[in-house]
Amino acid sequence: MLVFRKPLPNIERPQMPADVVIVGGGPAGMACALRLSQLIDQHNANHPDSQLSKENIYVLEKAREMGQHCLSGALLDPRSMRELLPGFEKEAPLDAEVTKEAVYFLTEKSKFKFPITPPPLRDHGNYVISLNRFVKWLGGKVEETGITIFTGFAGSELILDDDRVTGVRTDDKGVDKHNQPKSNFEPGYDLQAKVVILAEGTRGSLTKQLIARFALDRDRNPQTYGQGIKELWEVPAGRIAPGEVIYTMGWPLTTKEYGGAWIYGGKDNVVSLGFVVGLDYPDPRLDPQRVLQEFKKHPLVARLLERGKMIRYGAKSLPYGGWWSIPPLAGNGWMILGDSAGFLNSQRLKGIHLAIKSGMLAAETAFEALKKGDFSAATLSDFQRRVESSWIKDELWKVRNFHQGFEHGFWRGMINAGLQQFTGGRGLRARYPSTAGYQHLKKLGELPADGGDEAHFLGPAKGDGKLTFDKLTDLYHSGTKHEEDQPAHLVIHDTDVCNTRCIKEFGNPCQNFCPANVYEMVDDATQPNAKRISLNPSNCVHCKTCDIADPYQIITWVPPEGGGGPNYDGM
Amino acid sequence: MADSILVIVEQHEGKLNRVSWETLTAGQALAAETGWTLEAAVAGSGVASLANEVAGKKVAKVYALESPKLEPYTPDAFAAALKQFIASKQPKLVLLPHTYQVRDFVPKLVTAMERAAISDCIGYKKDGNKLLFTRQMFQGKLAADVAFTCDAPWFVTFQNGAFRGDKVEAGSAAAPVETVNIEIADGVVRNKPQEVFKEAKQAVDLTQAEIIVSVGRGIKEQKNIELAKQLAEALGGELAASRPICDSGWLPMDRQIGSSGQTVAPKLYLALGISGAIQHIVGMKGARTIIAINKDSEAPIFEIADYAVVGNLFDIVPPMIEEVKKAKAGA
Repeated sequence: MLVFRKPLPNIERPQMPADVVIVGGGPAGMACALRLSQLIDQHNANHPDSQLSKENIYVLEKAREMGQHCLSGALLDPRSMRELLPGFEKEAPLDAEVTKEAVYFLTEKSKFKFPITPPPLRDHGNYVISLNRFVKWLGGKVEETGITIFTGFAGSELILDDDRVTGVRTDDKGVDKHNQPKSNFEPGYDLQAKVVILAEGTRGSLTKQLIARFALDRDRNPQTYGQGIKELWEVPAGRIAPGEVIYTMGWPLTTKEYGGAWIYGGKDNVVSLGFVVGLDYPDPRLDPQRVLQEFKKHPLVARLLERGKMIRYGAKSLPYGGWWSIPPLAGNGWMILGDSAGFLNSQRLKGIHLAIKSGMLAAETAFEALKKGDFSAATLSDFQRRVESSWIKDELWKVRNFHQGFEHGFWRGMINAGLQQFTGGRGLRARYPSTAGYQHLKKLGELPADGGDEAHFLGPAKGDGKLTFDKLTDLYHSGTKHEEDQPAHLVIHDTDVCNTRCIKEFGNPCQNFCPANVYEMVDDATQPNAKRISLNPSNCVHCKTCDIADPYQIITWVPPEGGGGPNYDGM
Repeated sequence: MADSILVIVEQHEGKLNRVSWETLTAGQALAAETGWTLEAAVAGSGVASLANEVAGKKVAKVYALESPKLEPYTPDAFAAALKQFIASKQPKLVLLPHTYQVRDFVPKLVTAMERAAISDCIGYKKDGNKLLFTRQMFQGKLAADVAFTCDAPWFVTFQNGAFRGDKVEAGSAAAPVETVNIEIADGVVRNKPQEVFKEAKQAVDLTQAEIIVSVGRGIKEQKNIELAKQLAEALGGELAASRPICDSGWLPMDRQIGSSGQTVAPKLYLALGISGAIQHIVGMKGARTIIAINKDSEAPIFEIADYAVVGNLFDIVPPMIEEVKKAKAGA
């Protein structure tokens, strides 16, 4: 019997007043905290008689340590960091500056190099970084300012009062599998905040509550997503230079799926490689972790990795939808930043610099609100205006129709992308519509039983243990750990749908799209020849794909007990 | 009556809990700071000698609260006894160590007296005339200073280790000890304590086992665990499992081997129906000899097994049990 996590009812929770609560200590949240501290310091230096306090500014981070849940390729466009901390290059952990780049179109056995690197994929001047190390460094800067970062605490619920967000409830600790308090039970805190800043990353769980509550997706394109699967490898010296960047399109995907791979040369012969698959593919049997394994078999990659060693694994979803999918950014007592809002350039596949910039702009808005003592929509909606008059808008406006252009396959996408390149992003119409990715999934009955052209990446990878790995082996290298005795944090609203409908219609794609083997169909002991859904929540790498890609939209990802999750290092 | 501080020390079977000395140290410090009188009390049956022990420290007076109903400990009796006593003495401040026993009866006592308690404090501060007690929040990342807004008596419990028990000051002369006989009416004590036992942290210590029989998903059903158990018993070994078995509740979690369970290195490890995901292997790869039985000839467990048996464990294990028994009987 599955029991799902929810805040325990009818218990008294400690109340704590706060000025600003930032939910999520990623690049957006950390940049927001740091910028806010800078503004307060400046203000206090100039206004000795009206001092502002930093004491009641808090960052909640569900990972046990800062940066532990951050994962990206990653290439950093330094634009926003130069604004936030001029000269940051001297002290930030940067692996290498991009020196060489190439884009390939792959077929099963060969490769075609693009004669010139398309402008959006030109990366000179950007840095290869490990996002989690970078965020750890940035978090250290935040702590130096005196702002408290509560690591190991997740935002589990928004506290609302009519049309206002008035605070955040943190996770209950010490709750057992049956939702009963254990001897170490500690109720979550109610942080009563003047403003709650949501910087939870892609598909934030509180952001999702907020969007639903205030219908913030009204008149927006549905957000669309990709899933990135990443491995970190140590390879023999001389295979790839630090700062060398390779992008590929094509194999192993067919023209029906959207996606591509990256290979970045880092320091000390470490290679970051990964594959992003758009979560709007048609075949529910597609397994993104398998796609990465098939990709590694291509001669271009296999040669690079030969006699190397896979050292880390991880996965994360990313928002592709672009400008037309971004919800309203502020309201009474709240703002939304970074990937939670969808600040990602889908053409360049870069969002870190936008997340940081959005954090800075939100900090500037929060600072004005602190000075005025007004946290209503009237003041906070200034964040919207700041974004629209910043380079975030310039950058995202040019690619506002990019991903939508690919909804009907690779070739139409390339034509659309070309047209948009010449029309300042417009293409054939002002606003290309989009459909939520899960609606592209086809039922098994409409697909060839043998998988057709896609057969090579459907179903689980077997792995040879050297170049390719099965999912559990990969997962082991994510360092994921959770307290086992806690309710399932993957809340399935109706498991009958899994056991009776989905199994026939889609073949339970959760087993395939989950990069961590959380979802499993097991024999149902109560009925002969029947299967039932079973969960391994302690495997979860917090990528949120299930919440996004489930065809019936009955899975809600909520944070597990704070401190649990992947242990990314160098990712 | 002058303001006073009352420290309730804790005893168990005629011995003082050493955390009591820490609370007494706290009481001495607070008394010095406030100028209030420090008194102590110990509750139980036949606690005079314990009261004398406390009287050797720097306190104004020690009370031995006596009632046959206070032994063994019950929350009803302790709450009733202390309520009577505290109501008659009206101390300003009541200090207790934050022990399991205190956590058990203090909420009841304080509610019955319509007062408030500040629990699990790590220190105190004096802010003008105001006493502030420091509690940890967010797992120790923040400290909050809390003040009473209700009338005295105020109840405060101190965390283990917040003060130093070895710093408790001895008195210049033994303090007077007064025995207070507490009447607890029949019917007040509704609890009937059973034998006290310690919940074993780890019922089995698999790390010490020389032979481990471990089961995985291949065992299929909960009732089949019995088969593995018989084999373990025949071999004189311990029973263990991979995560899915413990996750289903078929065996307790303390028998789980692997990255989220225990790491073992027995002389013999028998893996029954375990596929050998890396998460399991990291917990047992140090075993000297590994015998794996699995239907799937490609199961990764065979890569590290010294003896690989490809077949149905339900065909193989029963005759194995018989053979082990025979061999043991013969030897």
